[in-house]
Amino acid sequence: MADPVSTGVCDAMSENTPTISVKFASGIYVLLVSLTLVTWFVGRSSLQGLPLSMLVLVIALFKAQMVGDYFMQLKPLQGMWRWVVSLWLLIPGSLIAIAFYLS
Amino acid sequence: MFDPAAGQGQPGEGPLGAAGEWRNAALPETENRYPPGDLAIWVFILAELAVFGLFFASYAFTRMQHVALFNQYQLTLDRTSALINTVALLTSSYFVVRAVQAIKSNDTQLCQRWLWAAIAMAALFIAVKGHEFAHHFAAGINLSTNTFYMFYLSLTFFHFMHVVMGMVILTAIALKARKGGYSASEHTGVETGASYWHMVDMVWLILFPLVYVMR
Amino acid sequence: MKYQSQAVAKPYFIAAIGLFVGQILFGLVLGLQYVMGDFLFPEIPFNVARMVHTNLLIVWLLFGFMGSAYYMVPEEAERDLENPKLAIIMFWVFLVAGALTILGYLLVPYSGLAQMTGNDMLPTMGREFLEQPTITKIGIVVVALAFLYNIGMTILKGRKTAVSLVLLLGLVGLAVMFLFSFYNPDNLVKDKFYWWWVVHLWVEGVWELILGAILAFVLIKTTGVDREVIEKWLYVIIAMTLITGIIGTGHHYYWIGTPRYWQWWGSIFSAMEPIPFFMMTVFAFNMVNRRRRNHPNKAAVLWALGTAVMAFLGSGVWGFLHTLSPVNFYTHGSQITAAHGHMAFYGAYVMIVLTMISYAMPMLRGRDAANSNRSQVLEMWSFWLMTVAIVFITLFLTAAGILQVYLQRYSDDPQPFMIVQEKISLFYWMREVAGVVFIVGLLVYISSFFIGNADPENQTEAA
Repeated sequence: MADPVSTGVCDAMSENTPTISVKFASGIYVLLVSLTLVTWFVGRSSLQGLPLSMLVLVIALFKAQMVGDYFMQLKPLQGMWRWVVSLWLLIPGSLIAIAFYLS
Repeated sequence: MFDPAAGQGQPGEGPLGAAGEWRNAALPETENRYPPGDLAIWVFILAELAVFGLFFASYAFTRMQHVALFNQYQLTLDRTSALINTVALLTSSYFVVRAVQAIKSNDTQLCQRWLWAAIAMAALFIAVKGHEFAHHFAAGINLSTNTFYMFYLSLTFFHFMHVVMGMVILTAIALKARKGGYSASEHTGVETGASYWHMVDMVWLILFPLVYVMR
Repeated sequence: MKYQSQAVAKPYFIAAIGLFVGQILFGLVLGLQYVMGDFLFPEIPFNVARMVHTNLLIVWLLFGFMGSAYYMVPEEAERDLENPKLAIIMFWVFLVAGALTILGYLLVPYSGLAQMTGNDMLPTMGREFLEQPTITKIGIVVVALAFLYNIGMTILKGRKTAVSLVLLLGLVGLAVMFLFSFYNPDNLVKDKFYWWWVVHLWVEGVWELILGAILAFVLIKTTGVDREVIEKWLYVIIAMTLITGIIGTGHHYYWIGTPRYWQWWGSIFSAMEPIPFFMMTVFAFNMVNRRRRNHPNKAAVLWALGTAVMAFLGSGVWGFLHTLSPVNFYTHGSQITAAHGHMAFYGAYVMIVLTMISYAMPMLRGRDAANSNRSQVLEMWSFWLMTVAIVFITLFLTAAGILQVYLQRYSDDPQPFMIVQEKISLFYWMREVAGVVFIVGLLVYISSFFIGNADPENQTEAA
């Protein structure tokens, strides 16, 4: 039966790739939710200003990087693909920072 | 969990797993070049990230010209719903990670159960976000109301559609897992779908602070 | 040629080339009319020449797509065509209907043509590229349905490949989108909104699927690279096409009276439309680099690579230049548009059809795999002549367009349209010269079918 989400050629030997441990994954999860609560709290209080916005942005980028590194399992990779998410966070991230700075 | 016989990756040593978090870390370099799952989905993921990235940047730069407007209408958004949604997506991503770990241990049933749990969390997101949309439309707000709402509705709706697509993919995988279609040695499909799902989560992690909080 | 029924492709290709010549002749007439307004007036006024030029282009490309499908599908499906006779009948139906329509444009005043053909019963005439009488349009639907039946049944009953499925999807999409040409709302905003569902979703949508499938087919055959690799690239390319191109339709919704959010959606999504073309270029060169054999048909490989590059430049780059709404505000409907249009159509669709003809025609005419060296050299000369000519046409029109936009719209003292046309006429003359080079290239191309036929076939060298 054709796998609905695979186009047939297996590029990664998934049975042998490094896998994050359950304890560590849970730890990352707790960290991410905590950081989310921080962001929410800032939002709730409707605080504004550049330093705070930058902090919130940095937290967001950090959270996304964690998802990329540990949930998407990019951290142990060698080569270009290791940095794929980081590059994405860097470019729009910087643009957002610049736009808010100039506002 | 951690295999001392693996050589590399001892606690406190080596590039992989200073905290002992990576198993199977001792592998020849060439086998670790590609991200998990089918490479085609990663090209797709990059494309999606590019579109969202462009959208985010457009939001930020447009805001420059309408700071007061954006600040004002941002306050009309429901931050509590957004919090629930963020936690829902984070939780579902975590569940998907657990599902991948389960199938790597050849436990098809456990994998399936984690996937259903992830889908349930996604359904929660859909319900909450749908409720938010209904509330806006009932108040007569739409894409033409003002620039802030145009961006907010476009961004969140576009993301919403991706959550739906992600749910479809996860469901397909869960159904196949239920029929025993995956194993420890062959589960590319699970990793492929998982990678896509994490992308959907990751996009929201930027969207939530950008649109709901930063001012 | 593995299956006898592939032979039905030949008349389609011949008709395509014949109509191509007609298209270019009228193109030259138009180019001259830009600078000598009375040329051939009143026998062939500008608007009539234009209809003939654009309609011939679309019809010959359709002949080319159908011929390509008739050639590719039996080989992909590993069985003969479902009904070769039907294919030949439809060929004549399409050709005669097309010829009559063109004659109608030329011999009868357009309003008279509308009356004669009963347009008032179901009005579909009067819109750009869709000037055909309603009965012609119905004829096109009939031909398309017969064609899809033929191709579809062949694929369904045979081996299904990514190439044939993508091709079929593109062709079905082409037919479905054409149905919107029958929808003619009174409201001008809606009229224009749906008109683009035919035009944009054709050339920036389903036609790209057809292009991708044909390119993949030719690369599989000429490079010997693993089918799986090529098909995976094909899936990724068409995914990008659809992701960017569907909502990218919005880049035609900036100024027609639609809500403002289209300026955002259209700009953001259409800005990414060059990506699939860029991927096609990387894909084509990569596959040729990784080839396992040196195919004796060097001309076909040249056309394939050339298509990828020119499609990227003409559709991707030149398209990007005027796709963002702040830019388009100034350039809309200017010679910038014409520049993009010519290079995009030539680079993507003219060239992919010529690629397929280059690959298939030798075998349709009895060769094993390729023409003689002499024929191929002539063909490659024609490639360069036509391609370089179109590049210059595009550059001259771009220059004309920049000047036009500046003088007529952007400067502090905007000048009237006709005054500006006078000022940019030098570029129109230069464009016409480039057009003459183009038709010389086309004549060389045709000669390549007649010269070198007696010479021995070019042989495969060791890779």
